[in-house]
Amino acid sequence: MVAFLIWALIIVLILVVLAFMGYYNRFITLENAVDNALSQIDVQLKKRADLVPNLISTVKGYAKHEKDIMKDVTESRKALLAAKTLPARVKAGADLQTALKSIFALAENYPQLKANENFLQLQQELSAIEDKIAYSRQYYNDSIMSYNITVERVPGAWFAGLYGKKHKEQLQITAEEKAVPKVSF
Amino acid sequence: MKSERLSFQDEINRNKMKSTLLIACVLVFFIAFGYVISLALDPGYFFSIMILAIILSVTYTIISYYNADKIALASVRAKPADRIKHAALFNAVENMSIASGLPMPRVFIMESEQINAFASGRDPRHAVICVTTGALQKLNKQELEGVVAHEMGHVANFDIRFMTLTAIMVGLVAIAAEMFLRSLWFGGEKRDNGNAGAVLFVIAIFFAILAPIATQLIQFAISRKREFGADASAVKFTRYSPGLRSALIKIKHDSFSQQDVKRYPKAVAPLFISDPFRKKLSALTSTHPPIEDRIRKLEKM
Repeated sequence: MVAFLIWALIIVLILVVLAFMGYYNRFITLENAVDNALSQIDVQLKKRADLVPNLISTVKGYAKHEKDIMKDVTESRKALLAAKTLPARVKAGADLQTALKSIFALAENYPQLKANENFLQLQQELSAIEDKIAYSRQYYNDSIMSYNITVERVPGAWFAGLYGKKHKEQLQITAEEKAVPKVSF
Repeated sequence: MKSERLSFQDEINRNKMKSTLLIACVLVFFIAFGYVISLALDPGYFFSIMILAIILSVTYTIISYYNADKIALASVRAKPADRIKHAALFNAVENMSIASGLPMPRVFIMESEQINAFASGRDPRHAVICVTTGALQKLNKQELEGVVAHEMGHVANFDIRFMTLTAIMVGLVAIAAEMFLRSLWFGGEKRDNGNAGAVLFVIAIFFAILAPIATQLIQFAISRKREFGADASAVKFTRYSPGLRSALIKIKHDSFSQQDVKRYPKAVAPLFISDPFRKKLSALTSTHPPIEDRIRKLEKM
């Protein structure tokens, strides 16, 4: 009887140790996925910023007088490269997107620019990057969601308290992205 | 938004559970089958053959498991896609690799009029995605992304590995049944253990004939489940079910010549997003669920 109790105790102990280890590793894996998703957003934002000088020099050749718009783009690019925190970077990225949109709208007035092969290619690349930014943000929020689910649901919540793992915030859509674009005639 | 997310997550989980159940059924069946046979035949004789058969089939499957992608690509004469020439396809695959958080798979193109695609590779690190030239011509951006997302779903759910494992088990059952039936030809005199032995013998023959058919049907059932699972994953990655749905509708009304079908070897057919042969067989023996069912399920997601 005593031997049986000792064995039962040992088995329970082993199970507890395994649970502790398992949950620790689970948290680390999920946190790494979140970090990886974050760097994926940065990669795409950086790619877009790198294409901007190219775009500016192409546009300059055809539309020298549109200084305001070019200044907008150059400045929002600078702001993006200087931004330190993620929300600031995402905000700057959205500003750059808006500025780029006005450049592409501008091209409507310059048929030669619109027909420029270099310009067309940049336009395609930038719109492909826009998709990728959207998908990388979606994946970032997805990986935060699976992290949060593990941290907040029992029994994960008990271990999360022990290891000091807390709820993470998802990326929110900025107000101007949510707004339906206004069309003026 | 919240309930929508839950529903596709549920769909993926339910699929995983059903697949595990099906695999368990195959295993139990296999063990029961082996047990009955070993009772009917001389156990010592049986096991030595079984071990040999298992070693042979396992080496065979290990080799094909590690080369699954190469075999599949070579059998349909797929060529690597060009980053510039097939920019739309590359973008779709890159987008889905970002959305799923999986490594970028290698991208291939196969010559064919019909809209089709498949994924292969033993795990996400060795994944390949192959799309037909017909799909590139006939699908728009959202539809192509939906189809690529479906294939990424197969990669994410480890379907290739899973299907290979079921194929191993189906193969094992088939080999065991075959060996038993053949052994009847030259093992006749050994049967002198009375009435009970004769009954067991009849049961064993019954099993040997039914087992390969039953496991084959189970394999088809698993394959159909996996298609629904990949559809659910596709919606998770794109957050846009109309893309894949409209691609499936196009596939349903797709037209191509009989000549084109010859590009598809029978063995690789279950890999594709839709059955390249479009055979009108009973629901039990097809590797794909009816396309109408998939369209209907996507409408609800």
